[in-house]
Amino acid sequence: MRKKDKRKKKGDKFGAQNKLTLFKRPDFRIKRTCPLSAKNAPEVDYKNLRLLKKYVSDTGKILPSRITSVSQNKQRKLSLAIKRAQFLGLI
Amino acid sequence: MSFYEHTFVGKQDISNKDVDKIIDLCTEIIGKSGKLLKTEKWGLLNLPHKIKKNRKGMFVHFKFESDSKAVNEIEKKLSIDNKVIRYLTIRYEKLDLKKNYFEESKKD
Repeated sequence: MRKKDKRKKKGDKFGAQNKLTLFKRPDFRIKRTCPLSAKNAPEVDYKNLRLLKKYVSDTGKILPSRITSVSQNKQRKLSLAIKRAQFLGLI
Repeated sequence: MSFYEHTFVGKQDISNKDVDKIIDLCTEIIGKSGKLLKTEKWGLLNLPHKIKKNRKGMFVHFKFESDSKAVNEIEKKLSIDNKVIRYLTIRYEKLDLKKNYFEESKKD
């Protein structure tokens, strides 16, 4: 067992790092605050097209919050607003 | 009584008379049991895809305070009207009457 462990440690120096880097938090933390919950943030509304277009991909899909770092609460409101605008044919 | 926003989309070849007719009809229905606070004409806007063979749509927007009965009646009338492509009514707890997103975009 010990031998195996040693081998792992030796061999894994690279492999483990590669695997871990996917889940490991970066050394410097990027500031990720919701852009829509800040002070003086724009209102989420289906008429505010300029805002909604920022959160829609080129093909018209709603962007996930892990990319845009929008809070869960605001993401729900955003998706509703985008769907309303799509129904009326605004986006 | 609660606040509502109502938007309807008319066909691209709808005449101004017909638009005014629909607006008059809506104001009449709302006036029975409530108050019309604002009407906005957004004008002819390009649609992102064809809707019932229309490339453009005539957008008209109301903000009003009334019963739910008035909303039902308006939606009934508009669903029959073949000059209207789509309509949407949304209830709000508060309405802000100052902002008009579509006038700003025209200026730019």
